[in-house]
Amino acid sequence: MSLMSVRDLSVVYASKGAERVYAVKDVSFDLQPGEFVGLVGESGSGKSTLGFALTRLSKPPAMIGGGSILFDGVDIAEMDPKAVRVQRQGGFAMVLQSGMNALNPVRSIRNHFFDIFEAHGHVAKRDREARAQELAGKVELPGSVLDRFPGELSGGMRQRVSIALALSLEPRLMVFDEPTTALDVLVQHAVMDTIRELQKSMGFTAVLISHDLGIVLEVTERVMVMHEGQIVEDASSADILNAPQHEYTRMLLSHYGDPRAEVVEVPGLASRGSLRASVVEPVEPVEPVETIELAPTPAPTHAPARTREGRAAHQAIVVSGVSKLYPRPSRADQPVLAVDDVSFTLEPGASMALVGASGSGKSTIAKMITGIEHPTSGTITFGDLQIDKVKRRGLKSLHREVQMVFQDPYAALNPLHTVEYTLTRPVVNYSGLRGRDARRRVLELLETVGLTPVEQFAARLPHQLSGGQRQRVVIARALASDPQVIIADEPVSMLDVSLRAGLLALLEGLRETWGVSMLYITHDLLSARLVTDQIMVLNKGAVVESGNTASVLQNPQHDYTVRLLDAIPNPGRRTPGGSA
Amino acid sequence: MRFVLNKVGLLALTLWAAITLNFLLPRLMPGSPADAALAKLAQNGPVSPATKAAVEAQLGVPTGSMWEQYLSYLGSVARFDFGVSYTFFPQSVAGLVTAALPWTIILVGLVTIIAFIFGTLLGVLAAWKRGTWLDTLPTVGGTFASAFPYFWTALLLVFFLGYVGGWFPTSGAFSRSATPEFSLAFVGDALYHAILPATTILITSLGGWILGMRSTMINTLGEDYVTFAEANGLRPRTVALRYAARNAILPNLTSFGLALGAVVGGSLLVERVFAYPGVGYLLYTAVTNQDYPLMQALFLIITISVLLANFIVDILYGILDPRTRR
Repeated sequence: MSLMSVRDLSVVYASKGAERVYAVKDVSFDLQPGEFVGLVGESGSGKSTLGFALTRLSKPPAMIGGGSILFDGVDIAEMDPKAVRVQRQGGFAMVLQSGMNALNPVRSIRNHFFDIFEAHGHVAKRDREARAQELAGKVELPGSVLDRFPGELSGGMRQRVSIALALSLEPRLMVFDEPTTALDVLVQHAVMDTIRELQKSMGFTAVLISHDLGIVLEVTERVMVMHEGQIVEDASSADILNAPQHEYTRMLLSHYGDPRAEVVEVPGLASRGSLRASVVEPVEPVEPVETIELAPTPAPTHAPARTREGRAAHQAIVVSGVSKLYPRPSRADQPVLAVDDVSFTLEPGASMALVGASGSGKSTIAKMITGIEHPTSGTITFGDLQIDKVKRRGLKSLHREVQMVFQDPYAALNPLHTVEYTLTRPVVNYSGLRGRDARRRVLELLETVGLTPVEQFAARLPHQLSGGQRQRVVIARALASDPQVIIADEPVSMLDVSLRAGLLALLEGLRETWGVSMLYITHDLLSARLVTDQIMVLNKGAVVESGNTASVLQNPQHDYTVRLLDAIPNPGRRTPGGSA
Repeated sequence: MRFVLNKVGLLALTLWAAITLNFLLPRLMPGSPADAALAKLAQNGPVSPATKAAVEAQLGVPTGSMWEQYLSYLGSVARFDFGVSYTFFPQSVAGLVTAALPWTIILVGLVTIIAFIFGTLLGVLAAWKRGTWLDTLPTVGGTFASAFPYFWTALLLVFFLGYVGGWFPTSGAFSRSATPEFSLAFVGDALYHAILPATTILITSLGGWILGMRSTMINTLGEDYVTFAEANGLRPRTVALRYAARNAILPNLTSFGLALGAVVGGSLLVERVFAYPGVGYLLYTAVTNQDYPLMQALFLIITISVLLANFIVDILYGILDPRTRR
């Protein structure tokens, strides 16, 4: 008999005065005991809403609008909240998306465990300490973690604690809602490994909700693909990978690639060998090439420099011997060496990737290039401008030429201002255009980033835009001063997979047609491979490897680069835990 | 422990700075009380040297270098010697202040603490039972009551319950016939006199605490750790108190600190309306009579009470929020 049986389940969002919106529509599926099932979809697909409904955590305005959820033969969709609460011990547990905030900041980890033991009384008082220690061990944490408070733990440790807490219920069904999304790439990989091992050794049924088909295909046996509130495909992982039936599944799959491959392509972008090209049509298979060591490294394809009227000629950003030392956070700690003797040159029209896990110093370098932070030692020059010594007045001329695109499009736009206002400010500040001319320039910028019809988009407020559209506005804002250099700090990491390629193609196009050079900061090696010529791999502030992007990724020399490459979810590579 | 020592050190430093400023500010101002008095006398004709000496001796003109003055000032602060009041001559300022302080601290301080605790609990309840009558009643009622300026509420209470109804005394902290002592009868009498002013403060400040706690509580109820606690099947009471309310109260502690700090200095209007012999009433008298020694001592006391309130809140934060202990 199946452990959970869902029939015609619908979840509606019913706010007062608003239309009822079906986030989940007539979904039916079964979960067998011990199964590891993936639930994949992009933002807004209803996957998290479904996960919350399965564990009876839906909160108003979301509510179960119909159908049944049989758990162990009992319909929990209709169950009284008190009974549901008792049911959670030995029933179903949930690990939340942002493990960062899933723990009460003012309670010690030990008390988190004890609260659960106390609520269900399933562990005798004298065994509680031992049981908590044991659970910490299960998620590979030392027992001393029990004395700590959540704020003293790293993101990965906090997510492990959440998993241990969920395990303390001795659940038969565990729902993991994006358990590793907020974590650093390398940590992500390790936590995922732990989840997989626990599932195998303890034998609970697991549902892994994720936007990342790559991760899901790597660890699960069966995958349900969700799109617009419905499950459009439900098949074994091998079938999803090798014989996807639904076009949506195929679209998702098409956005994966192995940055190590000779040819890397996603819709709209391709990179083969050491050459890159934006394509509209998928590229045809490439002729076999000899090993990369033998292949001559062609010079990076620099775009022709476009002359800007009345402005300085194109200049390179030269970073030489730059270090950044942050003062020690508290008396007990050591000072932090965020950037350690980094040197490179960003030529006009070039594109360079700066990759590394979080804490590798890549964002600090971006801050120093934009003059937000000053280096502790070393120099950064842009033409005759000494960026490392720049003061207020110099900053304006620097920012005319060097602009930044931020990671989080939701936080980078003032929610109270229309798109037009947001774009008019830099246009007025930097180009001196006024009135009608400024407006014309704003519309031109919107056109450039592909937000048409421009008049409509100009009048919108940020909340009326999707994540991808917001990021386009952010890019348009960076372009307002007609800069020579764009620093893009993880510009696509917050976006859905299907949107990423479009934005990357936009950045790539800007580089080619406008001659803008780009410093592309990311932890995502696949996108680095697609849009950059040069790459620098950073670990703990120091450059461990650099060179031509394709050659470095195809033939990594440093252990750290290899680890970064291994951490990339790859649907094609099944680990021994999987069934493929 | 180290955290507490740090805070004590900080308190000592700010205390010293406040006391020193209290010394410096009057000296930075041009003129002195004696100059002012002499200038007034001079309008009626020439002032004889003897008169001048008498006025200066009476009002006190600083002698010696700034440094010597400062040391002797520190000495008198330490001895709690603030000179003699002009208004209540020849009573000492210290005596007046120590007589007034307990009334204010007990009445206003206690009521402020009660209002904070009671209002916070009602706010927790309102947020937890959002949308039910337990939410609507305290929220609307609290907003309504705190919308009145508190001297107006005070006048209404005095008029209806005191004057028209005659159930409560309209002024004073105790009956004229009673003498302050530690007896059951006297304490009962004092409490009876405190009911109207206490109710005034309670009515007008409760609403703010309810609304403040309700809104922070609603925010924390949306936090992941609350959802996760529910997912782990903790008892609703545990989730509401240990997870949601425990975090929601933290930002409100700052407002509590401000309210505590304002206890000594901010009770002027209530004490004025009820002719309550507290610090506010004393300050009012001192200001209207240009009683400089009394004013200076009261300002110092008010400053110190604000610092102490902040210190208490800092320590409370240390106890309640492990993140501040580092």
